[in-house]
Amino acid sequence: MDILLATLLGGLLALDATSVGQFMVSRPLVAGAVVGWALGDPATGITVGAVLELYLLVSFPTGGSRFPEGATATVVAVATAAGSEAAGALPLAVAVGLVWGQVGGFSITALRLLNNRLVPEPGDRFPGPRRVAALHLAAILLDFARGAAVTLVGAWIGRAVLTAAGSTWPLSRTGSLGLMLVGAAVSVGILLRDLGGFRRRRVLFTGGLALGILGARLL
Amino acid sequence: MTSEISRGVLVSTFLRSFLIQGSWNYHTMLGAGFAFAMLPGLRRLFGNDGSAMRASLDRHLEHFNAHPYMSTLALGAALRLEAEGSDADTVRRFKSAVRGPLGGLGDTLVWATWLPSMSVAGLALLWLGVPGWLAAVAFLVAYNLGHLWLRVWAFRAGLREGRDVGRRLGRTDLMGWATRLRGITALLVGLLAGAVLAGRGGLSDAGPLWGALATAAFVGGLLAGHHAWRPAAVAVVGVVALLAAWGLAA
Repeated sequence: MDILLATLLGGLLALDATSVGQFMVSRPLVAGAVVGWALGDPATGITVGAVLELYLLVSFPTGGSRFPEGATATVVAVATAAGSEAAGALPLAVAVGLVWGQVGGFSITALRLLNNRLVPEPGDRFPGPRRVAALHLAAILLDFARGAAVTLVGAWIGRAVLTAAGSTWPLSRTGSLGLMLVGAAVSVGILLRDLGGFRRRRVLFTGGLALGILGARLL
Repeated sequence: MTSEISRGVLVSTFLRSFLIQGSWNYHTMLGAGFAFAMLPGLRRLFGNDGSAMRASLDRHLEHFNAHPYMSTLALGAALRLEAEGSDADTVRRFKSAVRGPLGGLGDTLVWATWLPSMSVAGLALLWLGVPGWLAAVAFLVAYNLGHLWLRVWAFRAGLREGRDVGRRLGRTDLMGWATRLRGITALLVGLLAGAVLAGRGGLSDAGPLWGALATAAFVGGLLAGHHAWRPAAVAVVGVVALLAAWGLAA
């Protein structure tokens, strides 16, 4: 039942990333909270979503480029870890999510290639307004089906991985989170570079760092 | 703006702009989505004239690409051009002229600045101890205030200015806003890094080794840029797989 719910959510959230609205409900921070709540484990959803959001800080649905799909990656990762007490739940779920983000990216490319054949083009025999609208909406429906299918397979694989390796995971919970944050720190560094680099932004970055440390100690 | 385009048509066109990327493809990119969004206006203008409708729909099915939020500017302007009875070449030239700037401007302003700044702010809130659901809602609300403002502003600017919308874009100085926002985002990145380093459930709990490794990884990302992302993700997945195998074997 949980996997079916995750599949439905995967299809819906995948739509938000490119086809419908781009309200960023599909970002891992939000998608993780939504899916965690839906699956009855909001704390896991928020943790997994926050970690994946850190990884995907520098990944955006830009033009025709191939990008890791955050929505299905997050749904798969949360569906993998939700309800599990195993120490390995977080790292295994995030790892499956990172792999599945790439799978989602490839599936988007495949769908866009399919759309090449589906959508009307100028010079075609006049398709008519109704046909233009119907084909456009059909492409959106296909994107939903793609997101749902990618999520279904990913969640099933994620659950299998967690069942096999979750209970024998050798690191503690804090060590596991540490490992995940080491990988995520690379994205934070890339983002600061995108914003102008350390040399140019050193005053603002260092000021923020001090505020962050102070805030974390006081709050 | 011509009175031939009713308020209902404008609202319908604007709402359809949220689906403009629905049939994204490598041949015409947003072409079919653009035509889909233009349909209410084209029906209104050419509903009884089959050949005019055909010609108009055909030119809007042509290749077009832009940032999805900024595409409303082209939609508004194209709607105005069609309502004014502009010839096909004028409409084509206009769409061809704006697609590059609207893509570049939107990517810089939204994907490279607004989204990461709101995302980092949401994450910083979370690591500073704000409940996770509240951090997610704060991100969603703040992000979409900017998102919806941009869509509405661009659509209205396109409708008002028509083919002269480039001058309006120049006066608004969106790139200047992006530059200022990037400075604030650097401060937020520092805030996030500090909160993750020192906050509860962060690297201080995991131990100094993880803190040192994370600092090294941060410097690596800073030096190598986007080239580092995929190798880092592969390395994390590889380490997790090795640890899992080690746990299974032990």
